[in-house]
Amino acid sequence: MANADLETPEFIERLRAGDRAAFALVVKHYHPRLLGAARTLLQPADAEEAVQDGWIAAHRALPKFEGRSALLTWLTRIVINQARMQLRKGGREVQFDPTEEGATDALAHRFNANGHWQEPPRAWALSGPDALLTRDELQHCLESHITAMPDNQRLALQLRDIQGLDFDDICNIMDVSASNVRVLLHRARARLFQMVDRFQETGEC
Amino acid sequence: MLKCKHVEQRADALVDGERLPFGEHLALRAHLMICRHCRRYLRQLQALVRTLRRSPAPLSDTHTEALVERIVDRQSE
Repeated sequence: MANADLETPEFIERLRAGDRAAFALVVKHYHPRLLGAARTLLQPADAEEAVQDGWIAAHRALPKFEGRSALLTWLTRIVINQARMQLRKGGREVQFDPTEEGATDALAHRFNANGHWQEPPRAWALSGPDALLTRDELQHCLESHITAMPDNQRLALQLRDIQGLDFDDICNIMDVSASNVRVLLHRARARLFQMVDRFQETGEC
Repeated sequence: MLKCKHVEQRADALVDGERLPFGEHLALRAHLMICRHCRRYLRQLQALVRTLRRSPAPLSDTHTEALVERIVDRQSE
């Protein structure tokens, strides 16, 4: 079943009416994506617990789901809220607003005072047997850099570039403005660009 | 004339297919025509973003059923 079929009004009506088979289909297709989102903020075991708590809350609230956002957006928002609650219990708070974090653009040092490249991007091998982005070591390196990002950048990257959600949905899930999502995404991508560019030159992560 | 730094900051909008104001879109395209460093930056950023996209596989039926069981049970606790 395609994800689009889980978002039709007819299907949502079955869910609202408590159809167990319909609910199982949603769990089957959306659980891995929700887990991916929760893992951006939590360790794997805690993420699993947050998603399960999210499912329980969602199952309870489904009869009242009005379909103002897509089902996946609504579920992701519930799971992210569960994850934030878990963090709070452990004394951690995640700030999604990028103006609070004091982070900068990882490529900023590569421009001169006039705003032109002083250290331009290197040419990456993008095709052929040496294609850079398909190499396993680079994939591991990307993973570790994504893990090391500030939580809000990692979540924006996960929702947009890894899961392919729309900007409006991401704003809704993270409860920040579209311009803030763009700032977070730009910082996240700039970090990864800088990392891949360095890898291209040195072969080191 | 746009600076490369501005292009680097707005390249994300091009990667995301965002609708930019006509003037800005034109200025970005004009800069890209004459600046090979920014062209390379945009091309490689697009490749990087494409690499990140992943659709996780759905759960198996057995795993799904066990999970649904647990959700329904825990809700009725």
